[in-house]
Amino acid sequence: MAETRDLIIVGGGHNGLVTAFYLAKAGFKPLVLERRQQTGGAAITEEFHTGFRCSILAHSAGPLLPEIVRDMQLERHGLKLITPEAAVTALSPDSRALTLYNDPKRATQEIAKFSAKDAEQYSVFEESLRKISSVIAQALKLAPPDIDDPSRSDLWGMLTTGRSLRKLGKKDMYRVLRWGPMAVADLVAEFFETELLRATIAARGIFGTALGPWSAGSSLVLLLRATGDPHPAGSASFAQGGIGAITTAMTAAAKEAGAEIRTGTEVKEIRVKDGVATGVVLASGEEIPARAVISNADPRRTLLSLVDPTHLTPDFVQKLQNIRMPGTVAKMNLALSALPKFNGLNGDSSALRGRIHIGPEIDYLERAFDDSKYGAFSQHPYLEVTIPSLTDPSLAPAGRHVMSVYVQYAPFKLKGGDWDSQRDALGNTVVKTLNEYAPGIAELIEDGQIITPKDLENQYGLTSGHIFHGELALDQFFTMRPLLGWARYATPIKNLYLCGSGTHPGVGLTGGSGMNAAREISKALRE
Amino acid sequence: MPSVQKYDVIVIGGGHNGLTNAAYLARAGKKVLVLERRHVLGGAAVTEEVFPGFKSSVCSYVVSLLRPEIIRDLDLPRHGLEILPLDGTFTPMPNGDYLWRVNDHGKTRREIARHSKLDAEAYEEFGKAMQAMCRFVKPILGMVPPDPATLNPKELMKLLFIGRRFQGMSLEDKYNQVQLMTMSAIDFLDQWFETDVLKATMSASGIIGTFLGVRSPGTAYVLLHHYMGEIDGAFRSWGFARGGTGAISNAIADAAREAGAEIRTKAPIARIIVKNNRAVGVALENGDEIYGDVISSSVDPRLTFLRFMEEKQLPGDFVEEVKRYKFRGSSGKVNIALDALPDFKCLPGPGAHLRGALSISPSVEYMERAYDDAKYGNFSRRPYVDMVIPSLTDPSVAPPGKHVMSCFVQYAPYKLRPGLNWDEQRDAFGNNVIDTIAEYAPNIKDIIINKQVLTPLDLEREFGLSEGNIFQGELSLEQLFFLRPVPGYAQFRTPVKNLYMCGSATHPGGGIMGAPGRLAALEILKDVGAVK
Repeated sequence: MAETRDLIIVGGGHNGLVTAFYLAKAGFKPLVLERRQQTGGAAITEEFHTGFRCSILAHSAGPLLPEIVRDMQLERHGLKLITPEAAVTALSPDSRALTLYNDPKRATQEIAKFSAKDAEQYSVFEESLRKISSVIAQALKLAPPDIDDPSRSDLWGMLTTGRSLRKLGKKDMYRVLRWGPMAVADLVAEFFETELLRATIAARGIFGTALGPWSAGSSLVLLLRATGDPHPAGSASFAQGGIGAITTAMTAAAKEAGAEIRTGTEVKEIRVKDGVATGVVLASGEEIPARAVISNADPRRTLLSLVDPTHLTPDFVQKLQNIRMPGTVAKMNLALSALPKFNGLNGDSSALRGRIHIGPEIDYLERAFDDSKYGAFSQHPYLEVTIPSLTDPSLAPAGRHVMSVYVQYAPFKLKGGDWDSQRDALGNTVVKTLNEYAPGIAELIEDGQIITPKDLENQYGLTSGHIFHGELALDQFFTMRPLLGWARYATPIKNLYLCGSGTHPGVGLTGGSGMNAAREISKALRE
Repeated sequence: MPSVQKYDVIVIGGGHNGLTNAAYLARAGKKVLVLERRHVLGGAAVTEEVFPGFKSSVCSYVVSLLRPEIIRDLDLPRHGLEILPLDGTFTPMPNGDYLWRVNDHGKTRREIARHSKLDAEAYEEFGKAMQAMCRFVKPILGMVPPDPATLNPKELMKLLFIGRRFQGMSLEDKYNQVQLMTMSAIDFLDQWFETDVLKATMSASGIIGTFLGVRSPGTAYVLLHHYMGEIDGAFRSWGFARGGTGAISNAIADAAREAGAEIRTKAPIARIIVKNNRAVGVALENGDEIYGDVISSSVDPRLTFLRFMEEKQLPGDFVEEVKRYKFRGSSGKVNIALDALPDFKCLPGPGAHLRGALSISPSVEYMERAYDDAKYGNFSRRPYVDMVIPSLTDPSVAPPGKHVMSCFVQYAPYKLRPGLNWDEQRDAFGNNVIDTIAEYAPNIKDIIINKQVLTPLDLEREFGLSEGNIFQGELSLEQLFFLRPVPGYAQFRTPVKNLYMCGSATHPGGGIMGAPGRLAALEILKDVGAVK
């Protein structure tokens, strides 16, 4: 039998790496076990066609929490973040394009071309969102309070959050309360009249979720995502070398801090004895005992498949099964022989350096969602496109480009057929849609990679293909993430913890869950 | 020269909330005047003889939420209120089967077991869990919402009270409560049941009167209402008022009159008279001015503040909030005079199933597709229809051997897509409802003597419900409790001194509950003091 390790972290995604780093810094000896040949989880760069490298899954960071970048000294470990000035360019079928720059003044000028009133409202919205999201951000950095018996520090945390909430003033304070449960379509309509602008901002409330813009609660998703990124439509946050460069730097930082990392090492089982986690069993059959096990995998995979569920109460198992995580996203990566020409941009490639939004109207987005409700992928999908080779030419051969496309909605559960038989149909629909906004793009495609929700589950371990490890929703955030009473990174199994996106705050590639988890786990282990 | 009169309180609108408000105030010794625009009292809780001999509950058609304290305080049975039971819900299915739930637990259990044994067991558990939730929610329905934005210790105590009650629940109940308040009806029901038609029919209560689908978050909460109904103390019963829904309003009106309130019909008001930021009276459309120390409006905020007042009399922020308050009516009504009873293919003959609610809600997908049509400005090609035939239980409402049938229809969006208008679509809408029913009860077309079709536009014009919303404003999470109708003004008071709100647009909202009218009366009395 192998020697007993201090801590084992199952999964080397970005949150696992962040947790490993902070726990190593705190004096623990974490061992990270990653199933794939490289760390990074869903934040990876790979060559998908000879000479073309791409952020295979996530293509824009949350962005990362600045304290994580600082504490882990990611820049010293080789990370060069790229923040293009054009955050989002929204395309429309009438060949007009709207670019929302990071600079509010410039964004306002662009909006004024559509509506003077909206240009004015944009700064009102921007300011309100910035104030509100900063207060929520404060709450997100806290561990959710213990729901049954809040401790003194829980109360203190709630009190300070409550105080800053009050400081917002009545108007914005009520907005916090009112906005959360609203449909994002209503929220944007309260401010703007231009359909293209409405749809572009509303998209933030539906990205990665099984919600349409008319679904109540989609505003909450927008608010949560705005906590790390108050740009109304979300900024673009890339890395030199693709998103994988972020996790590569994190890996280096975690190692330097004292964590050990083994790739190509699949954990088959988390061993539990008398309600206590005692270590892991690898696919190879090797057993590694440990003082505590921390899982970067989603709560369902961790507790229903890595752990033998008989160690849990039937009631708890049922609740886990009820966590809503219907995947709705597919990914397509394209190798292009040249830069496509988009309608409405007059060849201005600088507008293409950020994220490109295709989904020109609220109704367009909602109809795309409708298809998925009945088990079909969208006939006219909502696409979020990036061309990272514009800001980082090293990703493609000279003069050529890579294009990364998020495709929504692609429901994990198809009504007719399975994803293997629908893969090409999905690809064709995406190319057809792209072709409407960038005529001729089909002829530029040298090769393409289609990642269906099924692939997300099978290859990247995202249960049901859900990129956030569970819906961001009013009943699944903060003290309810992953489950009410279990929002503090611990599980009913002693010495088994969670640190992935399925825990609070879990809002994308920010590292927030991993950082919070490390802090709480370290406290718990010292008690 | 117009006549000048003076009252302690003038109540605008003689709907059930306005009347309740008036009754409580009159009982406290106030000199109260109720002004109703129409020729008949009751607002949307009204019985009218639309066709000679047939008395229809024109709008609201069943009762379950009427607050027991109001029935008690106003002694409504003595004033003629009699609630008759409405037993069960019958859902015909396209495959020739049906789901028929009744108040008898054993029967319902066996019926559900016919569809799924697991569901039959879960149904019992579900009922128990819902009742635990009701016990938490009930006191909230009876309280004046706190204002979370103030530092007033009294308000904070109220918040603390809610917090403590929540803390006092078991983890299991907390879990259910949080889910109920935030989830979609279908997501919530999916956790308990597998039978599609059961989930579809149960979820329907979550969408009534809202512009939401059964899969929209926030619709689970209304499931509770079905377990909150208290008629003669029995949980979960729905009922009819003998003589139609208007009998409820009439009983309340009778109680108010007995306490000394004066009630005038055909007295439409033109504006609220405001002097120095104080409401001092109302001007009727005929030019009469009537003065009162307090003006209590039971009509919705759009009418109260944007029609009966001028924007400049109100703070700009407040006007902005009132303007964005969402109505979005989503339902219509078809009232039918019948020559005989409908005959359902799946259960032929005049059985007891016709005495309950008849629900056209065969599947979750059916419900969701009905919603999809409405999102894009169309009435549902195949709508959710909730029907009752009160004449089976209360023969007084129809000539012998004949019947009245009331059909609540959703979705019928107030705002149709560009190019369509309700006046032109009324017939198509009505016929579509009949066609829908005919798929399950084909004889319907042969037995209709007459029918009245009410579109959302008709509800607005006839009954003063802005955009045809039956609850005076959408019951969505962002418009409930301390956010209803607008943040900062959820305590029945308004920015104008002596002007109060007492209708369904205030907490706890719509349905024939009477709670807003009562709570508003108690708040008014706190400010001005009771006489006796």
